[in-house]
Amino acid sequence: QNAASPIMEELIAFHDHALMIIFLISSLVLYIISLMLTTKLTHTSTMNAQEIEMIWTILPAMILIMIALPSLRILYMTDEFNKPYLTLKAIGHQWYWSYEYSDYEDLAFDSYIMPTYFLEPGEFRLLEVDNRTTLPMEADIRVLISSQDVLHSWAVPSLGVKTDAIPGRLNQAMVASMRPGLY
Amino acid sequence: MAAVPEPDEPAKRKGSCTSLRSYWKPFKLLGILDVENIPCARDSILYGSLGSVVAGFGHFLLTSRIRRSCDVGVGGFILVTLGCWFHCRYNYAKQKIQQRITRQGMKNKLLYEGTHLDPERKQNNGNSSN
Repeated sequence: QNAASPIMEELIAFHDHALMIIFLISSLVLYIISLMLTTKLTHTSTMNAQEIEMIWTILPAMILIMIALPSLRILYMTDEFNKPYLTLKAIGHQWYWSYEYSDYEDLAFDSYIMPTYFLEPGEFRLLEVDNRTTLPMEADIRVLISSQDVLHSWAVPSLGVKTDAIPGRLNQAMVASMRPGLY
Repeated sequence: MAAVPEPDEPAKRKGSCTSLRSYWKPFKLLGILDVENIPCARDSILYGSLGSVVAGFGHFLLTSRIRRSCDVGVGGFILVTLGCWFHCRYNYAKQKIQQRITRQGMKNKLLYEGTHLDPERKQNNGNSSN
């Protein structure tokens, strides 16, 4: 899906970056395998190989640093908690979510998945719900996620958020969508 | 819109979205790199291939060593691809930031035109006071 939040944009960019590195390493490994299969060279008196050992120590270290630095940057970015505009509580149950908006007025409702036989043409199977959660766009929203019974997970792929709902624990996630839409 | 196929209906298309592009599976190099949809991927791979051919062939012309020229070609491919990739992604990121600033400026202009928060009025007041 396309990114609808700045965090997801960063995650997609990081994914592209890591994928290009993986592709190049895979190409190199494939080439080396083909070399090993086609060589007639044998060397039975190798005593030391300082240069190649230096290369295959330093090069992977550099590659790992190239991957780790953007990854850590995004990790700390996802943990930033700016002053939220709104707080939403999402409680997981078997098998529905209940949402509470308790900032301004007490508003709470349950959100069940729409069974397939109730779907209208054009609606998405296994994704539609009876009561949607409506949130303002371009606003930092704090989502407090917990569970009533077993472990659940609250995720919105296009906003780049996925947090476990653990009974007895309150997890916090920040959500900020850049444009209106159905996520 | 997405429609659930009937049980006896053959699968007509692989994609489930309405976009025409997603009717066919995207082409992925080595099965992982989606060169069609990742920005800068196609250009980097193409320039890398060109660099690989130039470096490998050039080395062969100079030394007439086939194996070493192949090694140089592969090394050239990796280096040129990486270099083009970082250069293109850097420019792409700058372009995205510019687009975001422009979009925000357009929205502010529409929203605040004629009010005391109009950015152009603030700019003109700043120029006239100077």
